[in-house]
Amino acid sequence: MAEESGISRRDFVRTAAGTMGAASVHALASAEARPRHATGSGSRAESATSSAPVPMRELGKTGEKVSAIGVGGFHLGSTKDQNEANELVSRALDAGVTFFDNCWDYHDGQSELILGNALKGKREKAFVMTKVCTHGRGKDVAMEQLEESLRRLQTDHLDLWQIHEVIHYNDPDLIFASGGAAEALLAAKQQGKVRFIGFTGHKDPAIHLKMLSHDFPFDTVQMPLNCLDATFRSFETHVLPEATRRGIAVLGMKSLGGSGELIRHGVVTPEEGLRYAMSLPVATTISGMDSLAVLEQNLQIARGFTPMTAAEMAKLRERSRELAADGRFELFKTTKKYDGKVGREQHGYPTAEELPV
Amino acid sequence: MNPRPASPVPQSSSSAIPLRKFGSHDVHISALGLGGHHLGDATDQSEAERIVHAAIDGGVTFFDNCWEYHRGRSEAWMGAGLKGYRDKVFVMTKVCTHGREGALATQMLEQSLRRLQTDHLDLWQAHGMCFENDPDLFMRPGGAAEAMLKAKKDGKVRFLGFTGHKAPEIHLKMLATGFPFDAVQMPLNAFDAHFHSFEQQVLPELQKRGIAPLGMKPINGHGDPVIKGVLTAEELLRYAMSLPVATTITGMEKMGVLQQNLKIAQGFQPYTADQMNAIRERSKQTAGDGRFELYKVSLKFDNPEARLAHEFPLDRKSVEVEEMVKSPVNNGHPYLDKSELAL
Repeated sequence: MAEESGISRRDFVRTAAGTMGAASVHALASAEARPRHATGSGSRAESATSSAPVPMRELGKTGEKVSAIGVGGFHLGSTKDQNEANELVSRALDAGVTFFDNCWDYHDGQSELILGNALKGKREKAFVMTKVCTHGRGKDVAMEQLEESLRRLQTDHLDLWQIHEVIHYNDPDLIFASGGAAEALLAAKQQGKVRFIGFTGHKDPAIHLKMLSHDFPFDTVQMPLNCLDATFRSFETHVLPEATRRGIAVLGMKSLGGSGELIRHGVVTPEEGLRYAMSLPVATTISGMDSLAVLEQNLQIARGFTPMTAAEMAKLRERSRELAADGRFELFKTTKKYDGKVGREQHGYPTAEELPV
Repeated sequence: MNPRPASPVPQSSSSAIPLRKFGSHDVHISALGLGGHHLGDATDQSEAERIVHAAIDGGVTFFDNCWEYHRGRSEAWMGAGLKGYRDKVFVMTKVCTHGREGALATQMLEQSLRRLQTDHLDLWQAHGMCFENDPDLFMRPGGAAEAMLKAKKDGKVRFLGFTGHKAPEIHLKMLATGFPFDAVQMPLNAFDAHFHSFEQQVLPELQKRGIAPLGMKPINGHGDPVIKGVLTAEELLRYAMSLPVATTITGMEKMGVLQQNLKIAQGFQPYTADQMNAIRERSKQTAGDGRFELYKVSLKFDNPEARLAHEFPLDRKSVEVEEMVKSPVNNGHPYLDKSELAL
């Protein structure tokens, strides 16, 4: 955007040098200069052989286990065609990835269709999650969407069904209102159409905590977790411990900022960003993979994964602290950029065209 | 230049715009303030000047502005309109450092004074405290706070303040710095009453400290709740003006809007507590997700300087960005071109 309008970002960074303080500029420079694999521990290199499996982790107190990395459903819908998606899903399964994320409204249903096709004959190997997009509407809408998701995914049950994008401050009230979406979660579970239930959101830890305050039997909760989140409106600080205390499985997302913002702006390398997120006490880290190349990059990190040490994590948090402080690279928290179409409609917000951020 | 219309009939106390105390100072300002951004939307300069004159005649003494509004046009038109009347009014403008260094603030002040054709401001405010780290950046050594104190000491500004529309927490963090603010500006309206509320969280704190509260966005910025039929513009303006504020700043880019607002403000009688409750009841339903307060939940009302200073995406459709792109002296630095600084 800035480049398009004739403003050179490089010029601005120069102008801003005195602005944001020398430390942030230094942080940027050192991040850019850092060699790709210089994480220092050595243990990763030993274990990251192409045959080591992706570790499995407990899904809260459900007794189920899922792979420490999950394939993001939105990006799966951005692969170049069904064949590439098939190959991606197949290779992921072979490497030990079991967790597959999706959502009723991703690419207007295409993401679910693509995953459904790719899992044909392999359904039993996968842990399939999708999300429901009621955004304040009630149980009936949710149950209709569930049937549609099951058809598209070519399955008779979901492993996990989550309420999508709980990002507005009145969403918890609407979800827990009489006849609201929370009732649909329980009904679907009782009917055996879904095994586990949860919710997701990327906006504000306060909204997540309001959801959890209802003492509803959530099996999972999904949230953005990355090294910038650690010091800014932090899900890591505010929600992760509460969920862990209650035995609710935490699913991490947006490990690189949502669209690789952390990489493009030189805050961290992909390896640093993903390893940080995966080193938190989460059941899985959902990562967008829209090509085989990205899958392979992620597998290289996830195979035989060894968590970062506490010291490594602290160092990364410190290094990114200043750039984290205004939310510039966590636009899902500070802008409308990552807020989906259906939610905007239901909450009376302008469209993405009218209000991109 | 428009000759000023004949002196208006002396106003009886019942028909004048009430004057209210400016915080703990022995200074009084009109309960209705003229917003600077909208003034730059007037059809042309002479229309803007006519609006300024009619506002003064109607009893408005508080004039709002900002260094970056319409890339300086708002200040320039207001300066032209105030020629000859400077002593009758209370002129405020804002500085757009957004975390950048104090020297920049001082440059901006000099330019604001030139455009407003005055040797001093009545109130100079740090614009748009909208990001969580703004208070830290404001107070840092060599930051805008130092420049503001110096400007006051040098007699270039009488009072200091800050503004912002994002989160009460950021305002409270600014207040916690201990900087001697005389005024604080914030969105105050019937929807704010329920949602991330400045009315509930910041207003009482200002009263306690004797800092002048300046309300803005009484009609939610662009009047969305009026368009959706939730409340009328008059109800919204009356609600905001009935709060314990020194003034309520609202945009008036047309003579008709000014006349409407004057009718409400002249001889203004605040709503009773019951009337306030009744308004709040009607705004409650749609307040809870921020749909009518996009300044709190999106970047929509964050001006280009703030976005650039914090490296957030610009909005191509914002007037300032459109004007910048069209400008012959656009060299990639939105406003800080030397040739433009001299304007």
